[in-house]
Amino acid sequence: MKTRLQVDCLVVGGGISGMESAITLGDMGFDVLLVEKEASIGGKMILLSKVFPTLDCSSCISTPKMASTYNHPKVTSFTYSEVRSIKRGPNGAFEAKVIKRPTFVDPERCTGCGQCEKVCTVARPDQFNDGLIARRAIYIPFPQAVPKKAVVEKKGVSPCTRSCPAGISVHGMVALVRNGRFDRAYSRHLEDAPFVGSLGHLCPAYCEMKCTQGKKSKIPVGIKGIERALGYWHLKNGGDKTPSKSGEKRFGIVGVGPLALSLAYFLAQKGVRPLIFTQGKRLGGSLLDAVEKGLLPKEILEDDINTILAQGVEQKDSPENTPFDALLEQNGLEGLFIEDPVRAKESERERIFSSPLKLDEPHLLPHIIGVARKISGPIEKFLEKGEYSLPEDAFKGLEGEISIQEPQGHNEELLPEEAQGLASRCLDCAVCSQCHECMKACPANAIDFSMEPEEVSVTTKTIIIATGFSLFDPSKKPLLGYDRLPNVITAMQMDRLLAPTRPYNAVLRPSDGKVPGNIAIVLCAGSRDRTAGNTWCSRICCMYSIKQAQLIMGALPIANVTIYYIDIRAFGKGYEEFFQQAKAMGTNFVKGKVARIEPTANDDLYIYYEDMERKGGLRRQKHDLVVLAVGAMASPQLRKAFMGDDAPDVDEMAFFSQSKGLSEPGVTNIEGVFVAGSATGPRDIPDCVVHANACAAQVASYLKKTEKG
Amino acid sequence: MASQKIGVFVCRCGGNISDYVDVEKVVESIKGVEGVKIARVNMFSCSDSAQEEMIGLIKREGLDGIVIASCSPKLHLNTFRQMAQRAGLNPYQYTQVNIREQCSWTHTHDRDGATQKATRLVRAGIEATRHSEPLHPIEVVTRPSVLVVGAGIGGLRAAIALGEMGLTVHLLEKADRPGGLVGTRKALFPTGADGTSEIDSLLQRIHTLQNISLYTNASLVKKEGSIGDFSVSIRVEPKDGQDRADTIQLNVGAILVTTGATPYVPKEGEYGYGAKGIVTLREFLDLLDSSRDSDGIYYEGKRVRRITYIYCVGSRQKEGHTYCSRFCCSSAIFASLEVHKRSPDVLQYHLYRDIRTYGSLEALYQRALDQGSLFIRFSPDSPPKVECGHNGGGIKVLVKDLLTSKRELEISSDLVVLVTGLVPRVEQQEVQDVLKLPVGIDGFFNEIHPKLRPVETVVAGVYIGGCAQGPKNAQESVESSLGAAAKAGSILLKGKVELEPFVAEVDEGLCDGCGQCVEACPYDAITMGQRSDGTPVAVVNTRLCKGEGACVPVCPKEALEIRGYGHEKIRSMIRGLLTE
Repeated sequence: MKTRLQVDCLVVGGGISGMESAITLGDMGFDVLLVEKEASIGGKMILLSKVFPTLDCSSCISTPKMASTYNHPKVTSFTYSEVRSIKRGPNGAFEAKVIKRPTFVDPERCTGCGQCEKVCTVARPDQFNDGLIARRAIYIPFPQAVPKKAVVEKKGVSPCTRSCPAGISVHGMVALVRNGRFDRAYSRHLEDAPFVGSLGHLCPAYCEMKCTQGKKSKIPVGIKGIERALGYWHLKNGGDKTPSKSGEKRFGIVGVGPLALSLAYFLAQKGVRPLIFTQGKRLGGSLLDAVEKGLLPKEILEDDINTILAQGVEQKDSPENTPFDALLEQNGLEGLFIEDPVRAKESERERIFSSPLKLDEPHLLPHIIGVARKISGPIEKFLEKGEYSLPEDAFKGLEGEISIQEPQGHNEELLPEEAQGLASRCLDCAVCSQCHECMKACPANAIDFSMEPEEVSVTTKTIIIATGFSLFDPSKKPLLGYDRLPNVITAMQMDRLLAPTRPYNAVLRPSDGKVPGNIAIVLCAGSRDRTAGNTWCSRICCMYSIKQAQLIMGALPIANVTIYYIDIRAFGKGYEEFFQQAKAMGTNFVKGKVARIEPTANDDLYIYYEDMERKGGLRRQKHDLVVLAVGAMASPQLRKAFMGDDAPDVDEMAFFSQSKGLSEPGVTNIEGVFVAGSATGPRDIPDCVVHANACAAQVASYLKKTEKG
Repeated sequence: MASQKIGVFVCRCGGNISDYVDVEKVVESIKGVEGVKIARVNMFSCSDSAQEEMIGLIKREGLDGIVIASCSPKLHLNTFRQMAQRAGLNPYQYTQVNIREQCSWTHTHDRDGATQKATRLVRAGIEATRHSEPLHPIEVVTRPSVLVVGAGIGGLRAAIALGEMGLTVHLLEKADRPGGLVGTRKALFPTGADGTSEIDSLLQRIHTLQNISLYTNASLVKKEGSIGDFSVSIRVEPKDGQDRADTIQLNVGAILVTTGATPYVPKEGEYGYGAKGIVTLREFLDLLDSSRDSDGIYYEGKRVRRITYIYCVGSRQKEGHTYCSRFCCSSAIFASLEVHKRSPDVLQYHLYRDIRTYGSLEALYQRALDQGSLFIRFSPDSPPKVECGHNGGGIKVLVKDLLTSKRELEISSDLVVLVTGLVPRVEQQEVQDVLKLPVGIDGFFNEIHPKLRPVETVVAGVYIGGCAQGPKNAQESVESSLGAAAKAGSILLKGKVELEPFVAEVDEGLCDGCGQCVEACPYDAITMGQRSDGTPVAVVNTRLCKGEGACVPVCPKEALEIRGYGHEKIRSMIRGLLTE
């Protein structure tokens, strides 16, 4: 789907700077499009607890900005969207291609109730809590999100699901089993394919050959075992016997093998009334041979067949030599399918169908099911409209010899708990597992997996880059132990622990949930540091750490807080006073750069630092929680979108340059392209807001000047 | 009677309120109060989703008035008024009750008491909504012109932006030439940009813009009116050959205050100031600027070989100037780099407390360290001592070095630079008086809110930019002045502005023309007029009235009311407060 849009200014980034620029320009009467990559506007600011130096609740300040951005009559906001390319058009304006990523949730219907999150089977690190806790694959970003709509994180189709010849949502089944929902896993399997237990014994498990976990660790997720366990689970527990939609049209099938049974199953699902002519044979066909050979337990096969029959499939014995025409007429059938292609040649008439290949070997079961599904669609269409055309790819890969590995041993019974253990190794490589639990839970019927990316062509006179910054990745400083020590956390995680929407409603340390009593904050973690690749000062960390010290002392009145620093850079309006206030409250300030952090036996931490002001020398201090005051790094990805034009310049730290000197803040080297806020370098919120407005003034001047020509 | 179907929403504010106020109990206890149709608890009332939900309820339940008990109306009054409007209500039939600042945050140790207080405040709020009437804002057509007070780099740059937006600009400068502090500097950190030529190029741009008028030797002496339509008087000092000052009347839609700041001047004897060889940062920069082509550093003819910088002079003090002046660390270090460039053999000692070269300015500090500048940290409790006149004029600086076990070091110096910060200008007082602008404890003009409205003041239509708001470097002054220009532009380009309808109203039937209200009004908004029968009656000029209400209590006849805050409404609110 393609749409066109024409605006005066395209603002890229919906954090505080982007919102502020957009509102000011909108107020001036310009048409603005704001594009945000996350599912909500608000940027980093909305995630913070309180903000310095006024200790305002960050939500309380951000939410009105978010609401007025989103509801502004002159501002259009696209969330979950990306600017793919930017080109200069013939008349000097820019042509931008914006992709609205599919959210798989109809925003018109979604009420933000969150029912879907409760049933989703996939957990992901929550980017809005800096990975401190998990969110679901379907998620509402956070309680104050604007818009407050769910989105599904979906990275294509998992290789297991994609490789299944039977078309089973393998990942969905695995995820449901992992969550202990065997009944749902079984019925999810049935939505795609019958023969759950039989497949668990006979399938060559192409899914396991493609499994990402297998590629990573050589041992794939034991999917076939999971499927087998489901078969045994169903054998014991039963369930899901409710017939599918009941229709009026009757369709006959001659044959008792897996193709006949599968086709009957799929037709029943589509509301056709299938009638199987057994002609003196037992249902199961070639699968009965597998039972004979000891590859498939008899009771498993019987359970699978019963499940198929329970969908509304009828059977009838008739003499083997009854002509097909007679079968059609005597039983009031609209059509007839002959499982054996040789027999089908007896009568080449309309309304009589068959498979051109003979498909009945037990190890071909997943293929056979796949073929049955592919035939069932055209038959349904024929019953409705009288036309029949088989999809070209129905038998793809099935002509000639099919190379498959012999089913690997292990055919023993598996318990549900064992299956759960196997399933827990799944990496959720496509994120959404396609388990469809959300679709069933959504009271508004808003989930729509058929959504496609939407491309919007935007013509704009100006562009504001307001893409902000990224936080320093502390694993780049291994001596600080972030990756190996659970009680070393980032400052963003600490802010989340302190926020009104905090994950545990308390400040707890990760390793054991203990309330920390002696907290260290390590400043310049990845700033002013050649070894970290960032020689600059990150400008915000001193102040947010001083803020956190005050908030921690409020939340945990008996806790000690020590800040390890090089210089305290409290330079803004009211900041020095805020620093003095923290000192007066009892925050312990120690001048000394921290060299490394090591664990003690009970997950406490030793900080090794150079004590610069007391006796000097290397000292060691014990703490039970360490916060790394990570710095601000450039986030210049948008440069890649500039095509045909030169991309805007960046400085030595890769922040966007303000190339036109001190009197032209926000102006880049590309005419018509401006930059606002922390995309220019580290900046705190007040400086971002002011800068974003300065940038809006520059854009307004530019637009008015170009209007005049 | 106005609202009869009222919706009451009590906000948890995450946990900001509900941690200390039992919000469910508040809701329970106001159910059944006259006029209340529904009462609910919200997680974050200000969030978009909660707003949408409330709008839905208002429409579904046919509510005709709402009360939200949440934070201070300073924060969200407008948010919720707009919400009410989107729901089809009159925005003035909304009452905000502040149970955060006034209950949860103030009574963190008394949950019961805080809850009870919140309940009473909510009852008063319900009464307020119940007795509210639909009001309509007063719409003012804005004048497409701006007065910019102060033609330093910020004022000049803002004037250009406003001029380019198509607005008429009157730019005032108190001194005889524009340019301010930047106009006196040859090299500005961090790039070494020439301040004088920067100012010259801005002035050239101003001259090409026909809609900007620059007045030098000029000051603002009077302001009347309100946002969108101010009338101001400016006084232009007599030029040569004139004997009296001109007063010019102007009508403008907005006013930008970019009056800047001034370097701190140490007291006589502060770190030896006044003695030979002891200079302020400004004087030292002047010295560097005036000798740009020289290859060494000379002070009073003598070559300088040792320089000691003492930081935070007049900044970060225990009393007086408690704030950090933000620019001085970077400025002094940049100067020391220039010294090194001219004469690498000069020994430079920096006596500091914290080096605040934030962001990319850190590169300057790194360069100074690499080039051999010595940085010695002192404690504010034992500041350096400066001793002059030993051994024929040499200066000795004594400092306890915090980083080497507080040993006292003695540094003999040819020149001591006192790294002085910025302080508010004395002349700022006039502007402050005329515009009635509040200042902070630091003496600089105060913004409404550092994040929500950083360039706006409590006087609507008056904006602040640059160092008038607090110390900044040149580029930061430009940024905040341009920010102020953007906000002024956003009001004026729209062409109209809405004012609160809360102005005084006279009940002519009751007024006996005693005139006490005329005297009480600080805005000269009430005059004595005449009824048709010639008897005197008070008349309110709604353009001047601020709705402050000073007139209401002085009227012996209760003939004056502020619209939207009538006597009956106030009395019912008090009754609501007192209800057990």
